[in-house]
Amino acid sequence: MIRSPLTLALLSLTLTACSPSDPQQQVSRALTDGVLLPIYSAWSEADRQLAASGQAFCAGQQNLAEARQAFASAQSAWAAVQPVAFGPLAEGNRAWQVQFWPDKKNLVARQVEALVNSKPELTPADLDKSSVVVQGLTAYEYLLFDPAIDLNVAEQKARYCPLIVAIGQHQQVLATDVQSQWQAKDGMAALLKDFPNARYAEAPEAVAELLRTQVSAIDGLKKKLGTPLGRQSKGQPQPYQAEAWRSNASLTNLAASLASAERIWLGAEQDGIQALLGSDHDALKQRINAAYSDTRQRLAAAQRPLGELLSDEVGRAEINALYDSLNVLHRLHESELAKTLGIQLGFNAHDGD
Amino acid sequence: MQINRRAFLGLSIAAVAATAAAAGTYGGWTLMHSGAQPLLLSARNDSAGKHFAVGYRLDGSQVFATQVNERCHDVIGHPFLPMALFVGRRPSTQSYLIDTRDGRLLQTVHSPEQRHFYGHAVFHKDGEWLYATENDTSDPGRGVLGVYRLQGEQLQRVSELSTHGIGPHQLLWMPDGETLAVANGGIRTEADSRVEMNLNAMESSLVLLRRDGSLVSKEQLPERMNSVRHMAVANDGTLVTGQQYMGELSDAVPLLAIKRPDQPFQHFPVDDAQRQLMSQYTASVAIHSELRLLALTAPRGNRVFIWDLDSAALRLDAPLADCAGVGAVANGFVVSSGVGRCRLYDCRNPQISSTPLHLPAGLWDNHLRLV
Repeated sequence: MIRSPLTLALLSLTLTACSPSDPQQQVSRALTDGVLLPIYSAWSEADRQLAASGQAFCAGQQNLAEARQAFASAQSAWAAVQPVAFGPLAEGNRAWQVQFWPDKKNLVARQVEALVNSKPELTPADLDKSSVVVQGLTAYEYLLFDPAIDLNVAEQKARYCPLIVAIGQHQQVLATDVQSQWQAKDGMAALLKDFPNARYAEAPEAVAELLRTQVSAIDGLKKKLGTPLGRQSKGQPQPYQAEAWRSNASLTNLAASLASAERIWLGAEQDGIQALLGSDHDALKQRINAAYSDTRQRLAAAQRPLGELLSDEVGRAEINALYDSLNVLHRLHESELAKTLGIQLGFNAHDGD
Repeated sequence: MQINRRAFLGLSIAAVAATAAAAGTYGGWTLMHSGAQPLLLSARNDSAGKHFAVGYRLDGSQVFATQVNERCHDVIGHPFLPMALFVGRRPSTQSYLIDTRDGRLLQTVHSPEQRHFYGHAVFHKDGEWLYATENDTSDPGRGVLGVYRLQGEQLQRVSELSTHGIGPHQLLWMPDGETLAVANGGIRTEADSRVEMNLNAMESSLVLLRRDGSLVSKEQLPERMNSVRHMAVANDGTLVTGQQYMGELSDAVPLLAIKRPDQPFQHFPVDDAQRQLMSQYTASVAIHSELRLLALTAPRGNRVFIWDLDSAALRLDAPLADCAGVGAVANGFVVSSGVGRCRLYDCRNPQISSTPLHLPAGLWDNHLRLV
């Protein structure tokens, strides 16, 4: 039996909880209020507008261009969430419900068509019971942008509108639910502010989760370029494997994700992860700042959508350079920053045993 | 009581075996240690990437931390002597026999030519024989059990048996202490490599065999790419396995299976909500025989789960970043993490509570043993 020694050890751990001046706790608090909650609010608001737009479009009160604009905002807000997508979003299959990517077999097109064929009078409740493939932004994008669909034709609009409305509602409910789980009394935001708690034994565990999610999102951005570049398929470009290829928003999404990642690093008021680096690490700080700046500038300089860039030598060279820039940024975080801060990003998760 | 180790090791193994067998070691928790805190054994790294075989009391006091050449995976305590084998992680050709009182390296055990360890082994209850899953790299993936005999403080490989399958991983004793259960993961890999060669032709199985190598049973799960890798056995012979699914992330495939006494090997009922959180990957399973609970770690999903072993009711679904090893203690389960603090999950009340342990945070490998 375990008796008192263990109990004593546990008590002493509880008593050594962080004081308010603990820098890790300060960073976790500052990022929660200054960066994370605003990102989740923006996403929730964008999905509220998406749902309203879907209904307005189907009621003939919005045109296709306006509906596409509302979709673009929702998609961009979702891209911004990805570097902070832990907690409720990582549970209950929610991330898949928002976006189905990668979609190697074009399941989105097949399942959307199968669904509207089988349920011409589709309701939001029907959609809730359907596959994640048809519940999210990827299916919505297919409906609004796929060359095989023309929503300016009344028949087609009538065919797809129940699904457009249902996806908008599904996304709004999902985002509102996630946001309320962040803001609840003992919700995610509270867990990131005072330690120890049911989720984090101490502030460093919270900071580690913040950094881990951000670094894994930056790694994800590499994949979002690497897949269509054909880095996993012997160099043969695969433009239809790109995220958001139908809406030509691959690079816009990338920029939105990158901006969030940079906000985690900087903080709303210079109180992000970088605040944990002492003055003796100014050189590393500058290199990371420079890497963000380089990636940002390359993205801003891209004048054409990803699909077009992949179609010629010059464009591919541009995307390859962007990939390399992201790679530098990723490595600076993964090895140097994490090591300097003494944060273990992963150990067993990719073990394979 | 201070026992002189030489004198202790000099005792007839058979004489001590009876005492040890009576104590019982199923479910990972043994009554032998009532009164003292169990010793937690695990492979661990330091932040510089060096590999260690470590032993800690649960109050955080370090008993030993011995640097070893290669990363280890599971740890097997001797049934009654103060020694444990830290088993090399695939494709390591080394395992380390360690004195668990002071961490002294008693022997670096080398696998023979054209064999490497898979990270798991078991000591027979009489303390004289050890069985380790190994890869026959001359026919990559062909599963063998290396049979080692303990003589003094040295293990010597004397023969080998077939695991009747491909890519074996964990192995455990059934309660008779004579029948071995082997998880054949079904994946072929070559020497010096962790890269899968046969994802399109995987052949995973759960095999029961006798110590002479003869096959008792061989069962498979319906999904070809579902790799049976880890297991736990309750004192009544209920066996549970944890899988890794090698197909698409979006495929809906159950990752936990059970073989109740005299029943076929089949999926353990897990709700979609929990299955999805696993990200197609489970790391360690443990059974608490007294509380009849089953615990599972899913480090890709950063989730710890506990179910009632008999009713399959979900008891816990909790976040824990990179959760790794899990083992039963009197109150419930201890879970380690590759990136954060280890936790104790107290399961005595209907509401399971978790407490961080005062052990070093992070860099714990996928398995822990409490002896």
